[in-house]
Amino acid sequence: MGLWDAFTDIVESVTPWSTVEAEAPAQEQEEAPEADSKDEEEEEEDEEEEEEEEEETVDPKEQIEEECKNAPQCASVKHHFDHCVERVQQQEEDGGAKEDCVEEFFHLAHCATDCAAPKVWARLK
Amino acid sequence: MLARSCLRSTRTLNGLRNGANNVTKRAASTSSGAANEAVPTRLNVAAAASTTLALGSMAWYYHLYGPVAFASTPAEEGLHPTKYPWVHEQWFKTYDHQALRRGFQVYQEVCASCHSLERIPYRSLVGSILTVDEAKELAEANEYPGEPNEQGDIEMRPGKLADYLPSPYKNEEAARFANNGALPPDLSLIVKARHGGCNYIFSLLTGYPEEAPAGTVVAPGMNFNPYFPGTGIAMARVLYDDLVEYEDETPASTSQMAKDVVEFLNWAAEPEMDDRKKMGMKVLVVTASLWAMSVWVKRYKWAWLKSRKLAYDPPAESKVRH
Repeated sequence: MGLWDAFTDIVESVTPWSTVEAEAPAQEQEEAPEADSKDEEEEEEDEEEEEEEEEETVDPKEQIEEECKNAPQCASVKHHFDHCVERVQQQEEDGGAKEDCVEEFFHLAHCATDCAAPKVWARLK
Repeated sequence: MLARSCLRSTRTLNGLRNGANNVTKRAASTSSGAANEAVPTRLNVAAAASTTLALGSMAWYYHLYGPVAFASTPAEEGLHPTKYPWVHEQWFKTYDHQALRRGFQVYQEVCASCHSLERIPYRSLVGSILTVDEAKELAEANEYPGEPNEQGDIEMRPGKLADYLPSPYKNEEAARFANNGALPPDLSLIVKARHGGCNYIFSLLTGYPEEAPAGTVVAPGMNFNPYFPGTGIAMARVLYDDLVEYEDETPASTSQMAKDVVEFLNWAAEPEMDDRKKMGMKVLVVTASLWAMSVWVKRYKWAWLKSRKLAYDPPAESKVRH
């Protein structure tokens, strides 16, 4: 959280057209109030499994990003993503997901790759 | 406050214009007569009103035009790629030609089955990626239409250095037919042609998640990739660990191959980059030298003027009045 984030947070909190997003605290189990403004109508769920990769050479990017996802700086977005997955899976069981977790996934991936980028480059040739 | 500072500025202006008036003006402005009592109030009101109008108009403008409307959802926009610290993008760095060689190997073994690289001739590989003999050998492995023979028929001949890399498909229609309607783009200029350049392509190649996030609908025959606008991409993940075997024994992890092939594609799009940076440095050197010379020449040319001494030699007092 830099100075710019603090500033944009203040601006977003007073502007009436911005999206309300409550950041969840890192370790708290209690669910933060969420107001996701997603209105994509997705009726069916169809998940494609990617093939599993061989584990002979370890991909540093994958490994470091996994560490980054569990790092404190990504705890909030990871919490949101996990919460969304849980919610959508619940909806699927109840018959048809009403939303998807693409936006939460984006935030998590953005955080993880941002954190991993210099570390990956240090490992690659 | 505003009015007072305005007054002060006119005062200083007057003072500049006429030093003699300064004292009297200042005395006049600071004197507080009974007749002038109402003026500061009125000025304050005017200043407050104009300021309110100015701020109000700004607020109104921002209310009307400030918030930008995004017509697409984040999924349609696609995830913006992270910025990676590419060495070859720094000002005084060149391509890592070992990486280019590895990247070309990845292109040949992985990408070339679907993607063409039709603007790259074998000759341009010489010296930057391959040796002459390697490039010739590579060119001769393919056949190209030659000159017409005495009957006017075109015969195929082995490739030469001047030939261009062969494309996997005859034309766009054939490429679409073989790929379920999707066209694998030509990769010659792809780094320049995509927003985000190297970062985008690297992220796209390595960014396939093991499974799409919950609730996502992936169209049949498509794959989920967060970096591709719309998130549904026809190209499946192609880079897997140890897919190629590098001749310099670099561990061929997915990200290593992606990094190498992206650097190679950057070379394909901008083969002149190394020369361009060299030329830029030459320009800096030459202009710096010219500037240094001009400073010395100026010193020399002005020496007589700067070192002269002016002396006023008054005429001797005389009784005669002119």
